[in-house]
Amino acid sequence: MDLTMLAIAATPSFIASAVEFVEATTIVLAVGITRGWRAPLVGTALSVVTLAAIVATLGVTLVTVVPEHLLLGIVGTLLLLFGLRWLRKAVLRFAGIVAVHDEDEIYRREVASLRERGLRRTEWDWVGMAIAYKAVLLEGIEVAFIVISFGARGVSAMTAAIWGAVAAGVIVTAVAAALRAPLTAVPENWMKFGVGAMLTSFGVFWFGEGVGAEWPGDAVSIPVILGAILVTSWVAVQLLRGLLPEGAHVEARNV
Amino acid sequence: MSSVLRAIWDNTYGLLVDDGQLAIGAIAALAITWLVAQMSDETVRENAGWLLLVLVLALVLANLYRAGRNARRAAQPAVASGGDDT
Repeated sequence: MDLTMLAIAATPSFIASAVEFVEATTIVLAVGITRGWRAPLVGTALSVVTLAAIVATLGVTLVTVVPEHLLLGIVGTLLLLFGLRWLRKAVLRFAGIVAVHDEDEIYRREVASLRERGLRRTEWDWVGMAIAYKAVLLEGIEVAFIVISFGARGVSAMTAAIWGAVAAGVIVTAVAAALRAPLTAVPENWMKFGVGAMLTSFGVFWFGEGVGAEWPGDAVSIPVILGAILVTSWVAVQLLRGLLPEGAHVEARNV
Repeated sequence: MSSVLRAIWDNTYGLLVDDGQLAIGAIAALAITWLVAQMSDETVRENAGWLLLVLVLALVLANLYRAGRNARRAAQPAVASGGDDT
């Protein structure tokens, strides 16, 4: 596997997956510490199996069945939609319009909610298993989507994207297990901002290739596209900060 | 069965669309790029990627500016009445 492929497929997959795993880990930790570990760990394992099946089925179908130009168009479209969504949210958070994701607050809320439900120790904890399964699946679907998108260019790209996601999962889980606390120190919005810009850049690049565009230097154009998106996003943050009145606090759902 | 399909659709939609206007704008930018690439000569088609980049950057700025203006409109009554007192 060459280094370019590793950088293109594994790096965005690693960073994006780390963000999602941090969010999933917060919920699994809350369930495990409040209600015991067996049920949430089983829920997590079942979810991982489901996600592996999704990646294997969709990934193999995309790589083997869809013609290359159409594949570039489809993957470019999906990456652009997905990347713009992350980028927009991250910019709004930097500008102070949307509240920053607070893992500590989410953890406390989840623990309080789980304690209210109570637990009969003699029974299998279906609630804990279901909550862990759902949390890991919902966050993991975004990981699966990213892995499939970055891996769609071939077997080596898919392998690199999967390894990126697996490495993120192992590192986040190991750190959370060692700390036994939500990972509040992770600069989540910066990571989301970076990944949003990266996904958008790859979306533009691949869709362009799909419609027959020639990028100067091929993949060398990606950093140029990424730079343009980062500069524009920074301008947008400054613009938004200037728009809001001093000391304004705005509800996220009103934007 | 229909509720399961509904949940799958909702999750897939939510994965890609946070703001409807941004998603529609992105699809429009892609459609314009595709049309230009299909209907133009070789030179224009080879540069269609840059057209897409420009459209995406304009879309990002326009969408965020609209979000900022909506946020300012929502914030002004609170600021005028002495800030957030909730």
